[in-house]
Amino acid sequence: MSVSRSRRSFLVDSATLAKGSFLALSLPVILSACQRSQQALEQGAGFRVFEGDEAADLTAIAARIIPTDDTPGATEAGVIYFLDTIFAEARRASQLALLREGLAALRGQLTTRGRNIHELTEAQQDQLLRDNEQTPFFATMRYLTIAGTFSLPRYGGNRDKVGYQLIGYEDRGAWSAPYGFYDADYAERGE
Amino acid sequence: MAKAVFPSFPTREEVDFVVVGSGAAGGVMAKELSTAGHSVVLLEQGPHLKAADFHHDEWGYDHNLELTWGRSQGYPQTFRKFESDVAHEREMVCGYAHNVGGSSMHYSGNFWRFRPIDFVEASVRGPIAGTNFSDWPITYSDLEPYYTKVDWEVGVSGLQGPWDPPRTRGYPCPPMPIKGSDVLLERAAKAMGLNPYPAPVAILSQPHNGRPGCIHCGFCNGYGCEVNAKSSSLVTVIPVALATGNCELRTHCTVHRVNTNDQGRATEVVYWDADGEEQAQRARAVVLCANGSETPRLLLMSESAQHPDGLANSSGMVGKNLMFNGYSTVMGLFDEPVNAYKSVPATRVVHDFYELDPSLGFYGGGGIDGRHPSRGAPMGFALTAAPAFGTPTWGSEFKAVLAHQFSHVAAFDGHTTSLPLSTNNITLDPTVKDKFGRPAIRTTYMDHPDDIETMRWFYEKTVEMMEVAGASNIVGHYERDGQEGNVHLLGTCRMGNDPDSSVVNAMNRAHDVPNLFMCDGSSLVTSGRGQPTMTIMALAFRAGELISQAARRNEI
Repeated sequence: MSVSRSRRSFLVDSATLAKGSFLALSLPVILSACQRSQQALEQGAGFRVFEGDEAADLTAIAARIIPTDDTPGATEAGVIYFLDTIFAEARRASQLALLREGLAALRGQLTTRGRNIHELTEAQQDQLLRDNEQTPFFATMRYLTIAGTFSLPRYGGNRDKVGYQLIGYEDRGAWSAPYGFYDADYAERGE
Repeated sequence: MAKAVFPSFPTREEVDFVVVGSGAAGGVMAKELSTAGHSVVLLEQGPHLKAADFHHDEWGYDHNLELTWGRSQGYPQTFRKFESDVAHEREMVCGYAHNVGGSSMHYSGNFWRFRPIDFVEASVRGPIAGTNFSDWPITYSDLEPYYTKVDWEVGVSGLQGPWDPPRTRGYPCPPMPIKGSDVLLERAAKAMGLNPYPAPVAILSQPHNGRPGCIHCGFCNGYGCEVNAKSSSLVTVIPVALATGNCELRTHCTVHRVNTNDQGRATEVVYWDADGEEQAQRARAVVLCANGSETPRLLLMSESAQHPDGLANSSGMVGKNLMFNGYSTVMGLFDEPVNAYKSVPATRVVHDFYELDPSLGFYGGGGIDGRHPSRGAPMGFALTAAPAFGTPTWGSEFKAVLAHQFSHVAAFDGHTTSLPLSTNNITLDPTVKDKFGRPAIRTTYMDHPDDIETMRWFYEKTVEMMEVAGASNIVGHYERDGQEGNVHLLGTCRMGNDPDSSVVNAMNRAHDVPNLFMCDGSSLVTSGRGQPTMTIMALAFRAGELISQAARRNEI
């Protein structure tokens, strides 16, 4: 039970954030190419790594992790573009292979051969993911869905800063006191 | 400020000083020596980033280590708990930023002074078996004038409290406005009869020395300041050094050896320059400010026939006594928005437990402050909070509670002592190399049982404070099995009067090499209470002045 992200633990935590994920040990790789994804988006380019059904399945999985309901979710954040960008990095080739293996294994569990995950109902998708919650593939997808939702938009995800909106982070970059209820109350009472 | 003339010193001609590392200590050292009229070459392995280069880039900085560098960038480190273990490669163990300003660029700037007790605690408390717990060769009053220099030349915001150590001058800037997380801390502390007080921070609450006040963006810890309000060496002392015209800053220089001559004197510092060419800068004297992991590694790599166990290591203490400081963290949810993600990390501190009661049966002490549990970073919070709180980690319920948790959370953190042990150390890894072929930094570390007890004590105290503060869903953490990495790198070339048990003397001169000095976190004899950088900078101001005076007397 640890959420220690305090000053001295954060560096260590970076490596353990994706506990169980096969990216955990090799994730911190400079994503120098990430700026390119924003350009790709703007140019309306297709995916560089993923094929149609693959992209649709990964999008569907990300959408169950951070669903679209009355507010935007992973789909609107453009998580798939974030994924497409980071897995286009040559050094991530082995990670991409693992991701594909994980996705294939998940597809292999479908009762109807040849069917894709994105063609299931949301309830069926949820059940499939619940059954696979302890797998490295799922841990990786959770990690990357969150990363793609909350990273700077220049990495391809967090489009229109929907991630900041859903977590309640005001993306203003500067504030003055009071910052919240308790310090306003403190000032009012003259404590 | 005078118009800067940037010198370019020939490497084959002797400059007065080569300073290795441009961080908290190296920046101060370069400023002190160059303003005193000495020629200085300041070597830095990273780039010279400026305010405009810094972004709220959680993915780039926290997850891809763009500022700190790790194995992925070609700088693997290895770790083991005990000397009998084989160390394994890690992405990072000892963490520090690689850039001009070093880790002062990305620190939180919690600038607690050490207290008089920190310098004499071993004789007051008595020795602790199995440790190298010792008094310092200097006292608080020796260092006080230099703490005051840090306050004014680097820039610290705060308010002197009645229980704070004595000071000769007030703070240059008033304390930061209190945050909601610290209102909760302060109210709980007062209800418990404690004495919370404004936290001193190396972040400007108002303009000072030509720099602006903080805009409270919240991205201090792990990030570079985009408005130069954070008082790093990058934006304070280093510009002063460069403006003298006596100091040449060379970036992207990877030092791998200090050469010595038959007389046992340091002659030159050998490094690979930005183009990968090997260079050797000659100097009258060498000052290592490379941090508590890099400084001992460089000394160990500089072994020679005269210094078979590493340079300046006749005591065998180079690399030993590594101290990380301990910590604990407890978070809880509150009914109203706290918004602790805004503004500087901490604005109040509780120092009532600076020295724990010896009757508890273990040694230790520390301080407590209020924070946001993910340092305000949205991605880190989304990844870690739900598993910690035990709420759904994905799906619509996860999404639904996330915003409430992020804005309504506060954390109370403990910052604690570490004991110096010979068995906690930095050595050269026998097999793993970095991309330059230098042996990887190998860290061997297991917290002393008293250090773990201290962390546990602070953890339990902050749980109690959270309860008094009215939090629900209280969860927390301390490293009960021992820490496996840190960003505080202390004690590995300790100061002392005895050449058999210390590496540098009371003016940071190597006992073994008359013109070699080490001044950074490695100099610390004891760990303080978890906020060492103020003391590292004060030591550098003091050593810089003493080294300059010695140079003028031709005693180097």
